[in-house]
Amino acid sequence: MTDIFEVDQHITASSRYYAGKVGSRFFVALRDEKKILGSHCPKCNLTYYPPRSTCGRCFSQLSESDLLEIGLNGTLETFTRIDYEVVSVLARDHESIHPKVDPVIYGIIKLDGADTGMAHLIGEVEFENLKIGMRMLPVFAETREANILAIRYFKPE
Amino acid sequence: MEQELINIPMVVDMPYRFAAGCYLARFLTELRDNGKFFGIKCPNCGRVQMPPRIVCAACHVKNGEWVEISHEGTLMGFSIVHLPLTDPTTGQPHKTPYTYGIVRLDGADSFIEHFIEVEPDIAKVWVGMRVRAVLRPREQRTGDLNDIQHFAPIGEA
Repeated sequence: MTDIFEVDQHITASSRYYAGKVGSRFFVALRDEKKILGSHCPKCNLTYYPPRSTCGRCFSQLSESDLLEIGLNGTLETFTRIDYEVVSVLARDHESIHPKVDPVIYGIIKLDGADTGMAHLIGEVEFENLKIGMRMLPVFAETREANILAIRYFKPE
Repeated sequence: MEQELINIPMVVDMPYRFAAGCYLARFLTELRDNGKFFGIKCPNCGRVQMPPRIVCAACHVKNGEWVEISHEGTLMGFSIVHLPLTDPTTGQPHKTPYTYGIVRLDGADSFIEHFIEVEPDIAKVWVGMRVRAVLRPREQRTGDLNDIQHFAPIGEA
């Protein structure tokens, strides 16, 4: 009888995300002004995060003039805890800037004024003390780059 | 003013393990520890599968008879690759051009695909070419198909 044998494998995939016109406005506002932008569809009266140039519901063309500030605070919609090492999902020059420590708490926060939630890390709170419906606020990074980790995490108000 | 357009480089890094199962485990440990290839013979149709499978896919009966397979075989098909395809283990483009092919080892009825160490020149590689497996040194072998470094032509260089 053969012992159980596991083969270690590894896949690495490099890619580049192009934010586009509307997405670039979002990342620049986040980095330079600590503002979170969503896009508002006037026909559906819905505000989307992340901002996009097409309404996913009525397919209206949205533009930069449909961008509006949302948040910064919001309501915790759901959350989860990750107990294995989180591998990098964002990298600059292959240097991981994603936290690798565990446990990591992820949540979805519906920012004030938005109709869709933002997934982000949750910090400065024990997992046991989190509750759906809790009010949350973002903690910005001191040195911010044009990516989503310009917000380090959300914490309870 | 011209808008600053944002792009974000991303690296998805996925280490994973796959459980080889008892047949493939024996194949891989024999390859790693003794540098030998083993296939499995179907008791019904007599074909030899390498890498070994528990069930003969043609007859749907359980394979049971282990047979040692030669390190020499015949090139059954090949590509000269000019596109710098991403090497999934490093995330880096593979240096081009290179030759990749399928080999039927003597004693087996199935093919194994791997790098063929020949000059990537359509005039210097042909279907029916005799090749031999070149294994990594014992201390570098880990028990996966990369323990085979490549297949090299027999009787040249």
